Amino acid sequence: MALVQVLPRRLAGWIATEPDWDEVYAAELPRVLNFFRYRLGHDTEAEDLTARTFEKAWRARHRYRRDLAGLSTWLLTIARHVAIDHLRTQQRHETLNAAAAVPSPEHTPEHLVIQQSDAQRLAGLLATLEPRQRELIAMKYGAGMTNRAIAQATGLSESNVGTILHRAVEVLRGRW
Amino acid sequence: MTFGDTSTDEVSEAWLLALRSEPSPLFKARLRERLHAQEPAADTPMDWPRRALFVVAALTVGAVVIAVPGVRASVAQFVSLFRVVNVVGVPLDPSRLDRLRAEHLDIGTLVGEHVQVLQDPGDPVPVASLADAGAAARMTLATPQWLPSNTQVMETAVMGERAMRITADSHRLQQVMDALGINDLSVPAGLDGLVVDVRVPPVVMIRYDHGNRRRTRLFQARTPQLTLPARVDVPALGEIGLRILGLPPLEAKQFAQAIDWHTTLIVPVPPNATSFRQVDVSGHRGVLIQHQPRDQSPTTTIVWSTPERVFALVSIQQASEALAMASSVR
Repeated sequence: MALVQVLPRRLAGWIATEPDWDEVYAAELPRVLNFFRYRLGHDTEAEDLTARTFEKAWRARHRYRRDLAGLSTWLLTIARHVAIDHLRTQQRHETLNAAAAVPSPEHTPEHLVIQQSDAQRLAGLLATLEPRQRELIAMKYGAGMTNRAIAQATGLSESNVGTILHRAVEVLRGRW
Repeated sequence: MTFGDTSTDEVSEAWLLALRSEPSPLFKARLRERLHAQEPAADTPMDWPRRALFVVAALTVGAVVIAVPGVRASVAQFVSLFRVVNVVGVPLDPSRLDRLRAEHLDIGTLVGEHVQVLQDPGDPVPVASLADAGAAARMTLATPQWLPSNTQVMETAVMGERAMRITADSHRLQQVMDALGINDLSVPAGLDGLVVDVRVPPVVMIRYDHGNRRRTRLFQARTPQLTLPARVDVPALGEIGLRILGLPPLEAKQFAQAIDWHTTLIVPVPPNATSFRQVDVSGHRGVLIQHQPRDQSPTTTIVWSTPERVFALVSIQQASEALAMASSVR
Protein backbone atom coordinates (compact mmCIF):
# COMPACT_ATOMS: atom_id res chain seq x y z
CA MET A 1 0.00 0.00 0.00
CA ALA A 2 1.16 3.47 -0.78
CA LEU A 3 -0.06 6.77 0.39
CA VAL A 4 -1.22 7.39 -3.12
CA GLN A 5 -3.94 4.91 -2.31
CA VAL A 6 -4.87 6.75 0.82
CA LEU A 7 -4.87 10.44 0.17
CA PRO A 8 -6.86 12.10 -1.09
CA ARG A 9 -8.67 10.10 -3.76
CA ARG A 10 -9.43 7.33 -1.39
CA LEU A 11 -9.77 9.47 1.62
CA ALA A 12 -13.42 10.15 0.99
CA GLY A 13 -14.02 6.48 0.75
CA TRP A 14 -11.48 5.21 3.19
CA ILE A 15 -14.03 3.98 5.61
CA ALA A 16 -14.98 0.63 4.31
CA THR A 17 -18.55 0.51 3.22
CA GLU A 18 -20.35 -1.78 0.93
CA PRO A 19 -23.53 -1.17 -1.01
CA ASP A 20 -26.78 -2.66 0.12
CA TRP A 21 -26.84 -5.29 -2.59
CA ASP A 22 -30.53 -5.99 -2.19
CA GLU A 23 -31.29 -2.36 -2.90
CA VAL A 24 -28.81 -2.31 -5.73
CA TYR A 25 -30.41 -5.36 -7.24
CA ALA A 26 -33.89 -3.91 -7.09
CA ALA A 27 -32.83 -0.57 -8.50
CA GLU A 28 -30.38 -1.65 -11.15
CA LEU A 29 -31.84 -4.84 -12.55
CA PRO A 30 -34.38 -3.07 -14.80
CA ARG A 31 -31.76 -0.66 -16.07
CA VAL A 32 -29.29 -3.37 -16.97
CA LEU A 33 -31.95 -5.56 -18.54
CA ASN A 34 -33.29 -2.70 -20.63
CA PHE A 35 -29.80 -1.82 -21.71
CA PHE A 36 -29.45 -5.28 -23.20
CA ARG A 37 -32.92 -5.13 -24.73
CA TYR A 38 -32.05 -1.99 -26.60
CA ARG A 39 -28.55 -3.16 -27.34
CA LEU A 40 -29.39 -6.65 -28.61
CA GLY A 41 -33.11 -6.76 -29.04
CA HIS A 42 -33.69 -10.24 -27.79
CA ASP A 43 -35.37 -10.95 -24.48
CA THR A 44 -33.78 -14.28 -23.78
CA GLU A 45 -30.32 -13.02 -24.56
CA ALA A 46 -31.00 -9.87 -22.60
CA GLU A 47 -31.91 -11.91 -19.55
CA ASP A 48 -28.91 -14.19 -19.94
CA LEU A 49 -26.53 -11.30 -20.28
CA THR A 50 -28.18 -9.42 -17.43
CA ALA A 51 -27.66 -12.45 -15.24
CA ARG A 52 -24.06 -12.68 -16.40
CA THR A 53 -23.53 -9.01 -15.59
CA PHE A 54 -24.89 -9.31 -12.07
CA GLU A 55 -22.90 -12.45 -11.41
CA LYS A 56 -19.73 -10.75 -12.56
CA ALA A 57 -20.53 -7.72 -10.44
CA TRP A 58 -21.27 -9.89 -7.44
CA ARG A 59 -17.97 -11.71 -7.76
CA ALA A 60 -16.12 -8.43 -8.23
CA ARG A 61 -18.01 -6.47 -5.61
CA HIS A 62 -14.95 -6.15 -3.42
CA ARG A 63 -13.13 -4.40 -6.20
CA TYR A 64 -15.80 -1.79 -6.66
CA ARG A 65 -14.35 1.60 -5.81
CA ARG A 66 -16.88 4.24 -4.98
CA ASP A 67 -14.33 6.96 -5.42
CA LEU A 68 -13.89 6.07 -9.08
CA ALA A 69 -17.45 5.61 -10.26
CA GLY A 70 -21.03 5.50 -9.10
CA LEU A 71 -22.49 2.08 -8.69
CA SER A 72 -24.83 2.43 -11.67
CA THR A 73 -21.98 3.45 -13.91
CA TRP A 74 -19.86 0.60 -12.63
CA LEU A 75 -22.60 -1.93 -13.33
CA LEU A 76 -23.32 -0.55 -16.77
CA THR A 77 -19.62 -0.64 -17.55
CA ILE A 78 -19.65 -4.34 -16.77
CA ALA A 79 -22.81 -4.76 -18.82
CA ARG A 80 -21.23 -2.95 -21.72
CA HIS A 81 -18.24 -5.29 -21.70
CA VAL A 82 -20.52 -8.29 -21.42
CA ALA A 83 -22.38 -7.06 -24.49
CA ILE A 84 -19.18 -6.47 -26.40
CA ASP A 85 -17.93 -9.95 -25.57
CA HIS A 86 -21.24 -11.43 -26.54
CA LEU A 87 -21.39 -9.65 -29.87
CA ARG A 88 -17.84 -10.58 -30.60
CA THR A 89 -18.54 -14.21 -29.84
CA GLN A 90 -21.79 -14.41 -31.68
CA GLN A 91 -20.62 -12.39 -34.66
CA ARG A 92 -24.11 -11.32 -35.21
CA HIS A 93 -26.47 -8.62 -34.18
CA GLU A 94 -29.88 -9.63 -33.10
CA THR A 95 -32.62 -7.32 -34.21
CA LEU A 96 -35.74 -6.56 -32.37
CA ASN A 97 -37.74 -8.14 -35.18
CA ALA A 98 -37.38 -11.63 -33.91
CA ALA A 99 -38.12 -10.61 -30.40
CA ALA A 100 -41.11 -8.59 -31.46
CA ALA A 101 -42.55 -11.60 -33.19
CA VAL A 102 -42.86 -13.39 -29.88
CA PRO A 103 -46.23 -12.43 -28.46
CA SER A 104 -46.58 -11.58 -24.83
CA PRO A 105 -49.38 -13.47 -23.12
CA GLU A 106 -49.94 -10.54 -20.85
CA HIS A 107 -51.40 -8.29 -23.50
CA THR A 108 -54.53 -8.19 -25.58
CA PRO A 109 -54.27 -8.99 -29.31
CA GLU A 110 -55.17 -5.43 -30.21
CA HIS A 111 -52.57 -4.03 -27.90
CA LEU A 112 -50.11 -6.57 -29.12
CA VAL A 113 -50.56 -5.49 -32.71
CA ILE A 114 -49.72 -1.94 -31.78
CA GLN A 115 -46.78 -3.05 -29.73
CA GLN A 116 -45.48 -5.35 -32.40
CA SER A 117 -45.78 -2.60 -34.87
CA ASP A 118 -43.82 -0.23 -32.71
CA ALA A 119 -41.31 -2.87 -31.80
CA GLN A 120 -40.83 -3.94 -35.39
CA ARG A 121 -40.34 -0.43 -36.57
CA LEU A 122 -37.99 0.36 -33.74
CA ALA A 123 -36.14 -2.90 -34.26
CA GLY A 124 -35.56 -2.08 -37.85
CA LEU A 125 -34.39 1.38 -37.06
CA LEU A 126 -32.10 0.39 -34.22
CA ALA A 127 -30.55 -2.28 -36.40
CA THR A 128 -29.65 0.34 -38.98
CA LEU A 129 -27.73 2.46 -36.52
CA GLU A 130 -24.00 2.33 -36.33
CA PRO A 131 -22.82 0.12 -33.46
CA ARG A 132 -21.64 3.07 -31.42
CA GLN A 133 -24.91 4.90 -31.92
CA ARG A 134 -26.89 1.89 -30.92
CA GLU A 135 -24.76 1.32 -27.86
CA LEU A 136 -25.25 4.87 -26.72
CA ILE A 137 -28.98 4.71 -27.44
CA ALA A 138 -29.11 1.58 -25.30
CA MET A 139 -27.28 3.31 -22.48
CA LYS A 140 -29.37 6.44 -22.72
CA TYR A 141 -32.84 5.06 -23.34
CA GLY A 142 -32.48 1.49 -22.19
CA ALA A 143 -30.48 2.07 -19.05
CA GLY A 144 -31.55 5.66 -18.48
CA MET A 145 -28.00 6.89 -18.03
CA THR A 146 -27.10 10.54 -18.14
CA ASN A 147 -24.74 11.78 -20.82
CA ARG A 148 -22.14 12.30 -18.14
CA ALA A 149 -22.43 8.73 -16.91
CA ILE A 150 -22.23 7.45 -20.47
CA ALA A 151 -19.14 9.52 -21.01
CA GLN A 152 -17.59 8.09 -17.89
CA ALA A 153 -18.43 4.53 -18.89
CA THR A 154 -17.29 4.82 -22.49
CA GLY A 155 -14.38 7.19 -22.21
CA LEU A 156 -15.97 9.59 -24.66
CA SER A 157 -16.31 13.24 -23.84
CA GLU A 158 -19.69 14.37 -22.61
CA SER A 159 -20.15 16.64 -25.60
CA ASN A 160 -19.24 13.82 -27.93
CA VAL A 161 -21.83 11.61 -26.28
CA GLY A 162 -24.43 14.34 -26.74
CA THR A 163 -23.53 14.73 -30.39
CA ILE A 164 -23.68 11.03 -31.16
CA LEU A 165 -27.00 10.66 -29.37
CA HIS A 166 -28.46 13.68 -31.11
CA ARG A 167 -27.49 12.32 -34.50
CA ALA A 168 -28.80 8.87 -33.66
CA VAL A 169 -32.16 10.23 -32.59
CA GLU A 170 -32.28 12.37 -35.71
CA VAL A 171 -31.66 9.26 -37.79
CA LEU A 172 -34.42 7.41 -36.00
CA ARG A 173 -36.80 10.32 -36.30
CA GLY A 174 -36.05 10.78 -39.97
CA ARG A 175 -36.62 7.16 -40.76
CA TRP A 176 -39.69 6.64 -38.61
CA MET B 1 -40.60 -9.51 -26.37
CA THR B 2 -42.48 -6.43 -25.46
CA PHE B 3 -41.17 -2.98 -25.43
CA GLY B 4 -43.68 -1.38 -23.15
CA ASP B 5 -47.11 0.01 -23.61
CA THR B 6 -46.52 3.17 -25.54
CA SER B 7 -47.37 3.66 -29.15
CA THR B 8 -46.71 6.88 -30.98
CA ASP B 9 -46.44 8.22 -34.46
CA GLU B 10 -43.06 9.71 -34.14
CA VAL B 11 -39.79 8.90 -32.53
CA SER B 12 -39.27 11.21 -29.65
CA GLU B 13 -37.01 10.91 -26.67
CA ALA B 14 -39.94 10.41 -24.36
CA TRP B 15 -41.23 7.62 -26.53
CA LEU B 16 -37.87 5.92 -26.49
CA LEU B 17 -37.75 6.13 -22.71
CA ALA B 18 -41.24 4.75 -22.41
CA LEU B 19 -40.31 1.65 -24.34
CA ARG B 20 -38.49 0.28 -21.36
CA SER B 21 -40.20 -2.38 -19.31
CA GLU B 22 -39.76 -4.11 -15.99
CA PRO B 23 -38.09 -7.49 -15.65
CA SER B 24 -40.49 -10.35 -15.25
CA PRO B 25 -41.03 -11.44 -11.63
CA LEU B 26 -39.86 -14.92 -12.55
CA PHE B 27 -36.57 -13.72 -13.98
CA LYS B 28 -36.08 -11.40 -11.04
CA ALA B 29 -36.64 -14.17 -8.54
CA ARG B 30 -34.46 -16.69 -10.33
CA LEU B 31 -31.53 -14.38 -10.69
CA ARG B 32 -31.79 -13.31 -7.09
CA GLU B 33 -31.73 -16.96 -6.11
CA ARG B 34 -28.63 -17.56 -8.23
CA LEU B 35 -26.81 -14.66 -6.67
CA HIS B 36 -27.73 -15.70 -3.16
CA ALA B 37 -26.50 -19.18 -3.94
CA GLN B 38 -23.06 -17.72 -4.53
CA GLU B 39 -22.84 -16.35 -1.02
CA PRO B 40 -20.44 -16.75 0.61
CA ALA B 41 -18.04 -16.70 -2.31
CA ALA B 42 -15.44 -18.59 -0.38
CA ASP B 43 -13.71 -19.91 -3.47
CA THR B 44 -13.40 -16.56 -5.16
CA PRO B 45 -10.26 -14.48 -4.84
CA MET B 46 -11.26 -11.23 -3.30
CA ASP B 47 -10.04 -7.77 -2.86
CA TRP B 48 -12.22 -6.86 0.03
CA PRO B 49 -10.13 -5.07 2.51
CA ARG B 50 -8.03 -2.97 0.24
CA ARG B 51 -10.09 0.02 1.21
CA ALA B 52 -11.12 -1.29 4.55
CA LEU B 53 -7.57 -2.01 5.42
CA PHE B 54 -6.99 1.67 5.51
CA VAL B 55 -8.96 1.83 8.68
CA VAL B 56 -6.05 0.06 10.22
CA ALA B 57 -3.05 0.33 7.99
CA ALA B 58 -3.50 3.39 5.88
CA LEU B 59 -4.40 5.46 8.84
CA THR B 60 -1.16 4.47 10.35
CA VAL B 61 0.58 5.65 7.24
CA GLY B 62 -1.56 8.74 7.31
CA ALA B 63 -0.31 9.24 10.79
CA VAL B 64 3.20 9.21 9.44
CA VAL B 65 2.35 11.99 7.09
CA ILE B 66 0.38 14.12 9.40
CA ALA B 67 1.96 13.14 12.63
CA VAL B 68 5.29 11.42 12.58
CA PRO B 69 5.69 10.03 16.06
CA GLY B 70 8.01 11.93 18.31
CA VAL B 71 11.40 10.76 19.27
CA ARG B 72 12.03 12.89 22.29
CA ALA B 73 15.42 12.31 23.83
CA SER B 74 16.36 9.19 22.01
CA VAL B 75 19.98 9.02 20.97
CA ALA B 76 19.51 6.12 18.62
CA GLN B 77 19.48 6.95 14.96
CA PHE B 78 16.48 4.76 14.33
CA VAL B 79 13.83 4.10 16.86
CA SER B 80 10.69 2.07 16.58
CA LEU B 81 8.16 4.16 18.34
CA PHE B 82 4.67 3.91 17.17
CA ARG B 83 2.19 1.88 19.16
CA VAL B 84 -1.47 2.62 18.83
CA VAL B 85 -3.01 3.17 22.21
CA ASN B 86 -5.44 5.96 21.52
CA VAL B 87 -7.59 6.66 18.52
CA VAL B 88 -8.67 10.22 17.89
CA GLY B 89 -11.00 11.46 15.18
CA VAL B 90 -10.21 14.65 13.33
CA PRO B 91 -12.79 16.05 10.91
CA LEU B 92 -11.55 16.44 7.39
CA ASP B 93 -12.39 19.64 5.56
CA PRO B 94 -13.17 18.57 1.99
CA SER B 95 -12.63 22.07 0.65
CA ARG B 96 -8.95 21.68 1.50
CA LEU B 97 -8.68 18.71 -0.79
CA ASP B 98 -10.55 20.57 -3.49
CA ARG B 99 -8.08 23.40 -3.27
CA LEU B 100 -5.18 21.01 -3.56
CA ARG B 101 -6.73 19.34 -6.58
CA ALA B 102 -7.26 22.73 -8.16
CA GLU B 103 -3.56 23.37 -7.73
CA HIS B 104 -2.72 19.91 -9.10
CA LEU B 105 -1.36 18.99 -5.70
CA ASP B 106 -2.98 15.69 -5.00
CA ILE B 107 -1.45 14.80 -1.67
CA GLY B 108 -1.57 11.10 -2.27
CA THR B 109 0.29 11.38 -5.51
CA LEU B 110 2.83 13.77 -4.11
CA VAL B 111 3.59 11.59 -1.14
CA GLY B 112 3.20 8.42 -3.15
CA GLU B 113 6.07 9.51 -5.32
CA HIS B 114 8.23 8.78 -2.34
CA VAL B 115 6.81 5.47 -1.23
CA GLN B 116 8.69 2.27 -1.87
CA VAL B 117 6.73 -0.91 -1.31
CA LEU B 118 9.01 -3.36 0.43
CA GLN B 119 6.50 -6.12 0.85
CA ASP B 120 3.26 -6.36 -1.07
CA PRO B 121 0.63 -8.43 0.70
CA GLY B 122 -1.17 -9.27 -2.51
CA ASP B 123 -4.88 -9.82 -2.60
CA PRO B 124 -6.78 -10.95 0.47
CA VAL B 125 -7.21 -14.65 0.69
CA PRO B 126 -10.49 -16.18 1.84
CA VAL B 127 -10.05 -18.79 4.53
CA ALA B 128 -12.38 -21.52 5.65
CA SER B 129 -12.47 -20.83 9.34
CA LEU B 130 -11.54 -18.40 12.08
CA ALA B 131 -8.81 -20.79 13.16
CA ASP B 132 -7.30 -20.72 9.69
CA ALA B 133 -7.47 -16.94 9.69
CA GLY B 134 -5.72 -16.80 13.04
CA ALA B 135 -3.02 -19.15 11.82
CA ALA B 136 -2.49 -17.14 8.65
CA ALA B 137 -2.26 -13.91 10.61
CA ARG B 138 -0.15 -15.50 13.33
CA MET B 139 -2.41 -14.39 16.15
CA THR B 140 -5.33 -15.63 18.18
CA LEU B 141 -8.34 -13.88 16.80
CA ALA B 142 -10.46 -11.71 18.99
CA THR B 143 -14.16 -12.04 18.29
CA PRO B 144 -17.32 -10.39 19.59
CA GLN B 145 -18.71 -12.23 22.57
CA TRP B 146 -22.07 -10.57 21.96
CA LEU B 147 -23.81 -10.73 18.63
CA PRO B 148 -27.26 -9.63 17.53
CA SER B 149 -29.72 -12.49 17.21
CA ASN B 150 -29.65 -14.49 13.99
CA THR B 151 -26.06 -13.53 13.29
CA GLN B 152 -24.00 -15.74 11.04
CA VAL B 153 -20.36 -15.57 10.04
CA MET B 154 -20.47 -15.23 6.27
CA GLU B 155 -16.88 -14.76 5.27
CA THR B 156 -13.38 -14.68 6.69
CA ALA B 157 -10.31 -13.51 4.84
CA VAL B 158 -6.73 -12.50 5.49
CA MET B 159 -4.49 -9.97 3.85
CA GLY B 160 -0.79 -10.57 4.27
CA GLU B 161 1.87 -8.40 5.79
CA ARG B 162 2.69 -5.15 4.13
CA ALA B 163 5.84 -3.10 4.39
CA MET B 164 6.86 0.17 2.84
CA ARG B 165 9.46 2.88 3.07
CA ILE B 166 8.52 6.53 2.83
CA THR B 167 11.02 9.24 2.06
CA ALA B 168 10.01 12.70 3.15
CA ASP B 169 10.16 15.58 0.68
CA SER B 170 10.10 18.97 2.34
CA HIS B 171 9.70 20.76 -0.99
CA ARG B 172 6.49 18.92 -1.72
CA LEU B 173 5.18 19.58 1.74
CA GLN B 174 5.93 23.25 1.33
CA GLN B 175 4.00 23.25 -1.95
CA VAL B 176 0.97 21.80 -0.20
CA MET B 177 1.22 24.31 2.60
CA ASP B 178 1.50 27.17 0.13
CA ALA B 179 -1.53 25.94 -1.79
CA LEU B 180 -3.57 25.87 1.39
CA GLY B 181 -2.33 29.23 2.58
CA ILE B 182 -0.57 27.81 5.62
CA ASN B 183 1.95 30.61 5.87
CA ASP B 184 2.38 30.83 9.62
CA LEU B 185 4.14 27.47 9.95
CA SER B 186 7.43 26.22 8.59
CA VAL B 187 8.48 22.81 7.41
CA PRO B 188 10.59 21.31 10.22
CA ALA B 189 14.31 21.37 9.57
CA GLY B 190 15.90 18.09 8.67
CA LEU B 191 12.75 16.62 7.22
CA ASP B 192 13.98 16.28 3.68
CA GLY B 193 15.17 12.79 2.91
CA LEU B 194 13.95 11.42 6.19
CA VAL B 195 13.08 7.75 5.83
CA VAL B 196 10.18 6.12 7.62
CA ASP B 197 9.68 2.37 7.51
CA VAL B 198 6.17 1.11 8.04
CA ARG B 199 5.27 -2.51 8.61
CA VAL B 200 1.64 -3.53 8.86
CA PRO B 201 1.06 -7.09 10.08
CA PRO B 202 -1.57 -9.28 8.41
CA VAL B 203 -5.15 -8.07 8.65
CA VAL B 204 -8.08 -10.37 9.26
CA MET B 205 -11.63 -9.58 8.23
CA ILE B 206 -14.69 -11.37 9.54
CA ARG B 207 -18.02 -10.58 7.94
CA TYR B 208 -21.22 -11.13 9.87
CA ASP B 209 -24.75 -11.10 8.56
CA HIS B 210 -27.47 -10.24 11.05
CA GLY B 211 -30.44 -10.63 8.72
CA ASN B 212 -32.74 -7.89 7.47
CA ARG B 213 -29.90 -6.36 5.49
CA ARG B 214 -27.91 -5.69 8.65
CA ARG B 215 -24.29 -6.70 8.48
CA THR B 216 -20.94 -6.04 10.06
CA ARG B 217 -17.33 -6.46 9.14
CA LEU B 218 -14.68 -6.67 11.84
CA PHE B 219 -11.06 -5.98 10.91
CA GLN B 220 -8.14 -6.63 13.20
CA ALA B 221 -4.38 -6.55 13.00
CA ARG B 222 -1.48 -6.52 15.35
CA THR B 223 -0.34 -2.98 15.94
CA PRO B 224 1.69 -1.61 13.03
CA GLN B 225 5.34 -0.80 13.49
CA LEU B 226 7.05 2.39 12.44
CA THR B 227 10.77 2.96 12.41
CA LEU B 228 12.04 6.44 11.84
CA PRO B 229 14.95 8.78 12.43
CA ALA B 230 15.19 10.55 15.72
CA ARG B 231 15.67 14.10 14.64
CA VAL B 232 12.34 15.60 13.73
CA ASP B 233 10.22 18.10 15.56
CA VAL B 234 7.22 15.84 15.57
CA PRO B 235 4.64 18.11 17.19
CA ALA B 236 5.50 20.73 14.57
CA LEU B 237 5.01 18.22 11.79
CA GLY B 238 1.83 17.00 13.40
CA GLU B 239 0.52 20.54 13.59
CA ILE B 240 1.08 20.93 9.86
CA GLY B 241 -0.77 17.71 9.26
CA LEU B 242 -3.71 18.82 11.33
CA ARG B 243 -3.83 22.13 9.48
CA ILE B 244 -3.79 20.28 6.16
CA LEU B 245 -6.78 18.28 7.35
CA GLY B 246 -8.54 21.54 8.07
CA LEU B 247 -8.22 22.22 11.79
CA PRO B 248 -8.16 25.93 12.69
CA PRO B 249 -4.69 27.25 13.60
CA LEU B 250 -5.22 27.57 17.35
CA GLU B 251 -6.93 24.24 17.67
CA ALA B 252 -4.25 22.51 15.62
CA LYS B 253 -1.50 24.01 17.76
CA GLN B 254 -3.14 23.04 21.03
CA PHE B 255 -3.98 19.58 19.75
CA ALA B 256 -0.47 19.01 18.41
CA GLN B 257 1.08 19.96 21.73
CA ALA B 258 -1.34 17.99 23.84
CA ILE B 259 -1.35 14.77 21.92
CA ASP B 260 1.08 11.93 22.53
CA TRP B 261 2.23 11.21 19.03
CA HIS B 262 3.87 8.00 20.16
CA THR B 263 0.61 6.32 20.84
CA THR B 264 -2.18 8.10 19.03
CA LEU B 265 -3.72 7.12 15.74
CA ILE B 266 -5.33 10.03 13.94
CA VAL B 267 -8.49 9.03 12.14
CA PRO B 268 -9.54 11.57 9.52
CA VAL B 269 -13.32 11.79 9.68
CA PRO B 270 -14.58 11.79 6.10
CA PRO B 271 -16.73 14.56 4.71
CA ASN B 272 -19.77 12.34 4.39
CA ALA B 273 -19.84 11.63 8.11
CA THR B 274 -23.05 12.68 9.77
CA SER B 275 -21.47 12.55 13.21
CA PHE B 276 -18.46 11.31 15.09
CA ARG B 277 -17.59 11.01 18.74
CA GLN B 278 -15.02 9.53 21.02
CA VAL B 279 -16.18 6.32 22.62
CA ASP B 280 -15.01 3.96 25.28
CA VAL B 281 -14.64 0.43 23.96
CA SER B 282 -14.10 -1.81 26.96
CA GLY B 283 -11.79 0.70 28.54
CA HIS B 284 -10.02 1.61 25.33
CA ARG B 285 -10.40 4.94 23.63
CA GLY B 286 -11.89 4.81 20.19
CA VAL B 287 -13.80 6.85 17.69
CA LEU B 288 -17.29 6.16 16.38
CA ILE B 289 -18.20 7.64 13.02
CA GLN B 290 -21.66 7.57 11.51
CA HIS B 291 -22.08 8.24 7.86
CA GLN B 292 -24.48 7.58 5.04
CA PRO B 293 -22.77 7.40 1.69
CA ARG B 294 -24.87 7.98 -1.38
CA ASP B 295 -27.00 4.94 -2.27
CA GLN B 296 -25.83 3.10 0.78
CA SER B 297 -27.34 2.32 4.12
CA PRO B 298 -26.39 4.30 7.22
CA THR B 299 -23.08 2.93 8.39
CA THR B 300 -21.32 3.02 11.71
CA THR B 301 -17.56 2.67 11.87
CA ILE B 302 -15.74 2.20 15.16
CA VAL B 303 -11.96 2.28 15.30
CA TRP B 304 -10.19 1.39 18.52
CA SER B 305 -7.12 -0.34 19.80
CA THR B 306 -5.71 -2.40 22.58
CA PRO B 307 -2.00 -2.37 23.41
CA GLU B 308 -1.46 -5.24 21.02
CA ARG B 309 -4.03 -4.79 18.32
CA VAL B 310 -5.95 -2.32 16.18
CA PHE B 311 -9.60 -2.94 15.38
CA ALA B 312 -12.14 -1.48 13.03
CA LEU B 313 -15.76 -2.50 13.01
CA VAL B 314 -17.86 -1.37 10.06
CA SER B 315 -21.51 -2.04 10.58
CA ILE B 316 -24.87 -1.46 8.98
CA GLN B 317 -27.11 -1.63 12.01
CA GLN B 318 -27.92 0.53 15.00
CA ALA B 319 -24.87 2.34 16.36
CA SER B 320 -25.69 1.05 19.84
CA GLU B 321 -25.55 -2.53 18.59
CA ALA B 322 -22.33 -1.89 16.72
CA LEU B 323 -20.80 -0.45 19.88
CA ALA B 324 -22.08 -3.39 21.89
CA MET B 325 -20.40 -5.75 19.44
CA ALA B 326 -17.17 -3.79 19.57
CA SER B 327 -17.20 -3.66 23.33
CA SER B 328 -17.60 -7.42 23.54
CA VAL B 329 -14.59 -8.22 21.35
CA ARG B 330 -12.20 -10.40 23.32
